[in-house]
Amino acid sequence: MREAQAGSGAAMAQLYAAHWRSAYRAAYLVVHDAAAAEDVAQDAFLAAVDALDRFDRRRPFAPWLHRIVVNRALDWARREELRRRVSRPESVFEPLPPPAEIGGELMEALKELPAEQRAVVVLRHLLEYTPGEIATMLELPRGTVNSRLRRGLDRLRATVGPASGEEGWG
Amino acid sequence: MRRDALDKALREAPIPVPPDAEKRGLEVVETAYSQRQPRRRPVPVPRLALAFSIATLLAALLLSPAGAAVREWVDDVVTTSAPRPEAGLADIPGGGRLLVQSAAGPWVVQPDGSRRLLGDYDEATWSPRGLFVAVAAGRTLSAVEPDGTPRWSLSAAARVGGPRWSPSGYRIAYRSGRELRVVAGDGSGDRPIAAATAAVAPSWSPLGHPQLAYVDGAGMLRIADSESGSTLASAPALPGVEQIDWGGAMSSILETSPRSLRLRTVQPLKLAGRPRLGPPRLLPVSPRATVLAAALSPHSDTVAAVLARDTPTGRRSAVVLFAGGEGRGRRLLDVPGDLGEVVWSPNGRLLLISLPVSDQWLFLPPGPGRGSAVSDVSKAFSPGRWVPSFPRLAGWCCRR
Repeated sequence: MREAQAGSGAAMAQLYAAHWRSAYRAAYLVVHDAAAAEDVAQDAFLAAVDALDRFDRRRPFAPWLHRIVVNRALDWARREELRRRVSRPESVFEPLPPPAEIGGELMEALKELPAEQRAVVVLRHLLEYTPGEIATMLELPRGTVNSRLRRGLDRLRATVGPASGEEGWG
Repeated sequence: MRRDALDKALREAPIPVPPDAEKRGLEVVETAYSQRQPRRRPVPVPRLALAFSIATLLAALLLSPAGAAVREWVDDVVTTSAPRPEAGLADIPGGGRLLVQSAAGPWVVQPDGSRRLLGDYDEATWSPRGLFVAVAAGRTLSAVEPDGTPRWSLSAAARVGGPRWSPSGYRIAYRSGRELRVVAGDGSGDRPIAAATAAVAPSWSPLGHPQLAYVDGAGMLRIADSESGSTLASAPALPGVEQIDWGGAMSSILETSPRSLRLRTVQPLKLAGRPRLGPPRLLPVSPRATVLAAALSPHSDTVAAVLARDTPTGRRSAVVLFAGGEGRGRRLLDVPGDLGEVVWSPNGRLLLISLPVSDQWLFLPPGPGRGSAVSDVSKAFSPGRWVPSFPRLAGWCCRR
């Protein structure tokens, strides 16, 4: 980070290589659209470049990037949800075609969660942030994070759990 | 499934990755990185001293003539935001009806969002109270009802373009080839006003006078009496002008070219019985920007302009508001890609902005307040087409 801030293109490329996959995966698991996830990851890195000089080197880079990624992915998912909601017969709109299918019962179940719950589940179980850290990243009360997490996991368990569950997801 | 199994599934489940996505992103990021200007890190200053210094500096600036520029800059920065679609078009926000020109022809969109294709016409414009629509196709000018029922048609000598219905409802101005003509609202009394005009649609006086602004073939902006055809006022038009819009609270004419925006007030001289064109005022458009569209508010002298520019990360467009006496514009919206047209609501409280790149319409208030968005616009106006095309906004009706 220090070298990237000092103007080293190679250091910036290293930062990108180290974090792109996790950024893309997190974005994809929230938006469930490959093109949108690519855009979100790219936007997040551009925002990082833009704010590089203001970045506090004493803090880790990943949470900063993930915060941008998940918030942008959430914005996109909310927008898509609105697009689907406006399909009243008398309106000028038609519903979007369903997103491309990907395999896996869990992925299907995750896709059915509201975007806000998806984002919290991804931050907790893919990126392994604590509820307190998630609350800071999403600018939510910690209680809201916990309730979204609990509701999301309950719905996932209801879909996937009975067939394969041994223990709860805590 | 256990908790660690969930973690593992989220980490390892196969997800689709577009080919070369990582490489594409790296190229964009490297370009942005190479063009950034590294800033020197500030030397730490005790917070209290820093706060005091900033407060003193701001007070000095805001009380000085240069303070105006600072305030505008701050205003610009804090009010710019990305579009956040909030609701779909079950109803047209702000009410009224829309006229939308698609590849198949013009559509009327009712307040509840239902829509009707008027027919295979090239251009359309509302009558002042929305009781009729004037439509042009080839050499034919027609008036139809909003349900598409034709009322009258006339054949012109050349291709018809730029029809505009007068605010009184009694006249329609249109271009036939290079000629400017006026016909009564019932289709009678068709007559020429000017023989050679520029390819710019005429614009009627918003005050209800029988006066018409147009650009002649020699590049002069003229105001003509629509009954006699005589010129009442004239001045050189903005070079490269493509659109004129006579409106606003102070009765101004907005001239739009791909590089510039210019406003002139029109002063009615009651004793002389003719208007006078005031001095032109160029709006501060960056020389690097291209003007894609502009519209003058119906109730104020605020201009909403769509400006595009190329940036290191690609092309971006902004909707910029130029209010009467302000020195510079205020960005209302800034998005990647090209925006389309911008149209004021009849009461001037909302702007409708077309966003072809994301297939949306945005309804945004020019001041504080939340906007809303409408999606899948192309499909709605391209029934039965394999490749939907994005329609053009042609009008928002009607002033009450």
